[in-house]
Amino acid sequence: MLSMSLADLFIMAVVYTRMVNPEFFEDYFLFFSPGITMTALFAAAFMIGREINMEIRREISHYMLSLPIKRWELAFGRVLAGGLRGMVYMTPLLLTTLLVTFVLANNAPSLWQMLVIVLALFLVSVGTSGASITLALSTTSFEKYVTARGVVYYLLFFCSTVFYPLTLIQSVMPQPFAIIAQYNPLSCGADLARSFLLGYPPLEPVMLLDLVIFALIFASLAMFAYMKIVQK
Amino acid sequence: MISLRNIWIVAERDLRTFLNFKFMLIMRAIWFLAQIALFGVIVNKMLKPDVELAIGTSYFNFYAAGIIITLLYSTTVFIGYDIYEEADHGVIEYLLSLPISRKELVLGRSIGGGLRSSLYVSPMLLFVLYLIGVTNPLQFLVAFVSLFLFAFGVAGFSITLAVSIKSSDKFDILLGVVNALIVRLSTTLYPTVYMPQYYAAIAQFNPLTFAADLFRWGAGIESAVLTPPISAALGIVLFFSFFTFLGIILHERRLEGGGWH
Repeated sequence: MLSMSLADLFIMAVVYTRMVNPEFFEDYFLFFSPGITMTALFAAAFMIGREINMEIRREISHYMLSLPIKRWELAFGRVLAGGLRGMVYMTPLLLTTLLVTFVLANNAPSLWQMLVIVLALFLVSVGTSGASITLALSTTSFEKYVTARGVVYYLLFFCSTVFYPLTLIQSVMPQPFAIIAQYNPLSCGADLARSFLLGYPPLEPVMLLDLVIFALIFASLAMFAYMKIVQK
Repeated sequence: MISLRNIWIVAERDLRTFLNFKFMLIMRAIWFLAQIALFGVIVNKMLKPDVELAIGTSYFNFYAAGIIITLLYSTTVFIGYDIYEEADHGVIEYLLSLPISRKELVLGRSIGGGLRSSLYVSPMLLFVLYLIGVTNPLQFLVAFVSLFLFAFGVAGFSITLAVSIKSSDKFDILLGVVNALIVRLSTTLYPTVYMPQYYAAIAQFNPLTFAADLFRWGAGIESAVLTPPISAALGIVLFFSFFTFLGIILHERRLEGGGWH
C-alpha cells in the first residue's frame, strides 16, 4: 500500500501536473500531495471492517467475549485500533507531504497548525474505522458486505477533493455527488491540510466540525453495533 | 509430447477456482465502475485542451480503454496467490503426483489464469467498447486476440515470480511494488508524451503500454502518440513467449522439493 501511495504521488501526480489545465491548479503535484496522506489513512483505517466481518462469520467473537474485558472496552478498543492503524500507516506519507510542501512551496506549518492537522487526521481515521466496522456488522452475508464495502469505499475515495478541487466536481457531477464530495470527511481532511500547508482553500471551521461529527457518529454507531452483535 | 487435453484439464481447474475470490471480483468490478463514472468523468474536464488533440479522442475514452487493461492485468496476476494458497494446503504436491507433465501443468495454468481473467473482464470490456464505439470490427478482433496473449503472459509472469520466490510475504511485497510501478509507468492512464523523459523511457517497453495502445487501436482510437500496432503486437508476443518459457523452466526446476513459506 505504501508503494502504491508513493507511486501515485511521484509518478501519477507528476504526469498529471503536465496535463492539467492551469485554470484549476497552480501545481497539481502540490495539490495532490496532502491528498495522498488522506487516501493512505482512509485505506488503512477501512481495513478493520473486513477482519471484523470475518470474525463474526467465523464466530471468533465468542472467544473475545471470554476475555476479562468489559463489552464497551472491547468495542471501543476495536474502533480505536482501526483508527490508530490508519495513523501509523499514514505517518510516513504525512512526513513525505510535509517535505514536499516545504521544498516546493517553501511552507512549514507551525506547531499548533501541525497539531490541528494531526487531530483532523485522527478524527478521519477513527470515523473511517467506525464506518467500516458499522458496515461490516450490518450483514453476515459476505457477498452483500463486499458489495456495500466496495460502493462506500470507492464513493468516498473518488467523490472527494483528494484528486480534484470541489469547484471542478460541482461543475461536472450531478448535485448529489457534489454534496457528497463537499461533506465527505476525506475532502474536509484533505482541504484542512491544504489550507495549512499550501494556503488554499481557505480554512473553514466547518471542516473540523464535519470531522468531529463524522468521528462521533460512526465511532458510537460501531461501538453499539459491535456490543450488540458479539452478544448474539 | 504435450497433451492438449491435459493442458485443458489444468486450465479448467483454474477457471473453477477463480470463483473462490469473490471478494476480489466484486471489489474489482466496483472499482472499475468508480474509475469510469467518477474519476474518468471528472479528470476528463480538468485537463488542457491540447491533451484531446494529442491523443486523438476525449481523455475519457483514452482512460476507459486503459482501465480495462489495468483490470485485466490486476485480475490475471492473482494466479500467483493461488499458487501460494495451494502450497499452504499441500495441493502442489497433489498436482505434482498427477499424470500430467510439468510443461502441461505450467502451460495449463498460464492459459487458465489468462482465460479466467479475460472472461471476467469481457462484460466490462464490451461496456467500454460501447462507450467508445468500435469503427473497424476486424481491427478490434486482432487487438482482442492480442489481449488474450497478454493475459496469458501476465499469468506466466505471476507464476514465474511465485515459483522463483517461494515466500508468500516476499511475493506479496514484491508484487505490490511491481503492480504500483507497472501500471503507473505505462500508457494505461496517460500517454508517454506527457511523461518526463525518464518515465517515458521505461513506459515504452512496458507490456501494459503495448496492451493498452493495441486495445485503443482496436477500438478505433488512432494517434501518433500511441505505440504503432505492429510494434505493440510484437511486444505482447515477446512478453507472452518469454514468461511462458521462463515459467515452464522455473516450474520444472523449482516446483518440487517443498521450501514454500
